[in-house]
Amino acid sequence: MNKFADKRPAIIFLLFILLLFLLPFVYESRNLLILLTQIFIFSIFAMSYDLLIGFTGIVSFGHAMYFGLGSYSIGIFMKRFEPDMTYFLWAVLTTIALTAIVSFIVGLLTLRLKSHFYAMLTMSLAGLFLVLAEKWRTLTFGNDGFTFRVPELFIDRTNFYLLCLIGMAAVFFGLRRFVNSPLGRVLQAIRENEQRTASLGFQVLHYKIAASVVSGVLAGIAGILYAISLRYVNTSVFSMDITLDALLMTIIGGVGTLAGPIIGAGIIEFAHDWLTGLAKEHWIFERWIIFFGIIYILVVMFFPQGIVGTLRKIAWKRKKKSYPVKSEQKAAG
Amino acid sequence: MDLFMNLALNGLATGMLIFLLAAGLTLIFGLMDVLNFAHGGLFAWGAYSGLWIYSKTDSFLIGIIGAIVTGFILGIVTEKWIIKPVYGNHVQQILITLGLMMVLSEMLKVIWGPNQLTASPPDYLKGSWEIGEINLIKYRVFIIIVGLLVFAGVQFMLKKTKIGLVVQAGVMNKEMVQALGINIQRVFMFVFMIGAGMAALGGVLLGPYSGVIHAGMGMEFAILAFIVVVIGGMGNFKGSVLAAILVGLSGSFMAYYVPDLSLAVNMLLMAVVLIIRPQGLFSAKG
Repeated sequence: MNKFADKRPAIIFLLFILLLFLLPFVYESRNLLILLTQIFIFSIFAMSYDLLIGFTGIVSFGHAMYFGLGSYSIGIFMKRFEPDMTYFLWAVLTTIALTAIVSFIVGLLTLRLKSHFYAMLTMSLAGLFLVLAEKWRTLTFGNDGFTFRVPELFIDRTNFYLLCLIGMAAVFFGLRRFVNSPLGRVLQAIRENEQRTASLGFQVLHYKIAASVVSGVLAGIAGILYAISLRYVNTSVFSMDITLDALLMTIIGGVGTLAGPIIGAGIIEFAHDWLTGLAKEHWIFERWIIFFGIIYILVVMFFPQGIVGTLRKIAWKRKKKSYPVKSEQKAAG
Repeated sequence: MDLFMNLALNGLATGMLIFLLAAGLTLIFGLMDVLNFAHGGLFAWGAYSGLWIYSKTDSFLIGIIGAIVTGFILGIVTEKWIIKPVYGNHVQQILITLGLMMVLSEMLKVIWGPNQLTASPPDYLKGSWEIGEINLIKYRVFIIIVGLLVFAGVQFMLKKTKIGLVVQAGVMNKEMVQALGINIQRVFMFVFMIGAGMAALGGVLLGPYSGVIHAGMGMEFAILAFIVVVIGGMGNFKGSVLAAILVGLSGSFMAYYVPDLSLAVNMLLMAVVLIIRPQGLFSAKG
């Protein structure tokens, strides 16, 4: 884990961000821009998920509930009030407050349980939110969802692209600080050995709740960006599929690393785009998730550390210092 | 009275279907310490394969048998290829079974198409019996009877047969059973197979009951089954039948009187049980 002390990955990442920052000014492609925006949004979501699964060792199957809370907050604010920056900020604050409260309560109730129960309970709770969003029609318009207008600043795709990119970079560096802070170290200790951490005198539950709240809030922010990018929200934001997306991205990319979820998000979104394009030629590509399901099972079985973790292990074995942030080449393939 | 009976019957029938799913989950958990997130997928596979065979052969009985056999086969394959490589690692187990769930439900869409299919009971189970004022819908009674028979059968197996004895001993202490020269791996596979078969049976019975089947129903019922397993106590077979009836009844009455809250009530029940009695309501050990 000393790898984190190394400054090189951060520099590579910074260069990578700079490159992406300049992209819309030199290369005009609306589709690519939209696709990359999606990748940034899901990177934020997957990194927030990785904080739980990869850094603290908590498996949550209900991460979609925070995502959905964010999406609905922005949607309802923009629909009910004026779509301007003031209400955008209000929506962000509401999301932060809601996700923090919900994740705190969920954590308080369930984090003392064993991993099975936690996974099961969060899954059911997310199901509860889905039902709630379907039934509370006066607020959410049920399954049909609703469209809304967004603040003027975000109407321009390039602006929104840059916002999401900056958001992703901020979350990356913020989480990097977080996992290397004393608090983050304790979280990693909990992942490695919970009993030992507890017997060293740490209140394991408090640390787990802290991780759960940070992760929940970040997932909510990803939900806000997602809803803005679609300008539409419906109950699917609470569905299991959203959690599965985060799970696939994190596991395939590499758990316990921050570059992993970003690479995973890139691979999955690019492949999704590519495979749905292929669906015209053969219907099986419409069911693209099946390929990822199989890859996912194989990764869990044989490469439990994902792409980044496995590459890192190889690099360590060769005793060479190399850090794999080459997502563009891999993502294209 | 008629309304009450109808709701009760409905609740019992749903409870039995949930029981068929939850019983396998709880047995597998009790013996192998594996929480199978793919159990709902096996349930949905039972429904699709059973109804497909039913529609091809025009015999509901063969459909049911076909579903159970599908369940057995899937159970063996799952245990051997998916669960066995990751025994002992909880996080990996949870992740891998959820991945399997995803693959299983997508496979359903690949084979039978993404739209929902309709199903109706065979002629001899259509309609209802009228006893006085009370109207007993035949198919619901049939589900309840099948559920009770399965319960009795598994109970008999656990209490009176050698393999049942081994399973019970395995729940208490796996290492000891192994030390006595019993191949616990074979027992694991057997229990997994039985659990998968019961889930598939539940699935095929659900089809004509609800009228339609779709690939997402595995997940819906799996959530109910998780609630049941928690309320009944993990690994507690008798607890699971009581909890399933409780959840079925509360679901059916709530769905009638306060429809918006029916799932919420069950969820609340689970949350309360988890906080106050994490070992389950019906668990003998205090």
